[in-house]
Amino acid sequence: MSILATGVPVAWLVARAAGLVAFGLLTIAVTLGLLLSTRVLGPKRGKALLEWHRTILWASLCMVALHGVALLFDPTLHFGFLAVLVPGTAPWRPVSVAAGVVTAWLMLMLATSFKARRRIGQRRWRQLHYASFAAFSLALWHGLTTGSDLVGTRGLIFAAVALLPVLWLTFLRILTPRPAPKQRRQPPPPAAPSRDEPSRPTAVAV
Amino acid sequence: MRTVWVTVLSVWALFAVVAVLAWTRQQTVPASAPQVVVVKAKNGTSHLVVQNTAPQATTRTSPVGAG
Repeated sequence: MSILATGVPVAWLVARAAGLVAFGLLTIAVTLGLLLSTRVLGPKRGKALLEWHRTILWASLCMVALHGVALLFDPTLHFGFLAVLVPGTAPWRPVSVAAGVVTAWLMLMLATSFKARRRIGQRRWRQLHYASFAAFSLALWHGLTTGSDLVGTRGLIFAAVALLPVLWLTFLRILTPRPAPKQRRQPPPPAAPSRDEPSRPTAVAV
Repeated sequence: MRTVWVTVLSVWALFAVVAVLAWTRQQTVPASAPQVVVVKAKNGTSHLVVQNTAPQATTRTSPVGAG
């Protein structure tokens, strides 16, 4: 797919741009998630941060879908549905493309896990959420090794800008002790009737 | 409202990156870049010929020396 008059490879440009925007949104989503778990911004903003975190993750996933669809239309790479959906089946740089495909599946799992949070339980959901670190690392590696946009100094600057907030907040998350979970308030035990108090008359059904 | 904001900003970011990539591509690919043309010979074999599309030399001739 190209504009015939100018010869601009539109599919190739859209694929690259969608991939870059998807990674930017994923970085923001991961940063927001870490801000949530470290509670750097205070406990009051938790709910709003969680909503932004979810929405941005879904937006990133939409950009990943656009990235894949645009690659299907690229006349140079000859990517089919299988190459876009199944890791390791791409005809070009199969290993680094596989990293991108695995990232997309991990992101889909994480985004849908919010809906299944009550069903699978908080503990399992939290354990599942550790996959976001894998998704972020694989996405960064995919971006640096697959395309030609992030080669040399540009790639280093890109990686540094994305990595710094994530690494800083991850270390903060590891080093800061988590507060103990709040215990639910138990209803006060019923007071034992004192001997001085006159016993209430009980209704007797006749 | 949050979803609308995120969608609008993401689409604008996409357009901006597409524009930057297209512009940098235009900068890196010179107009006079040589093109490769496939030429078929009479015996059926095909050859790759590098065609230089650089601007042609002017028809202005060098001045004739006096004498």
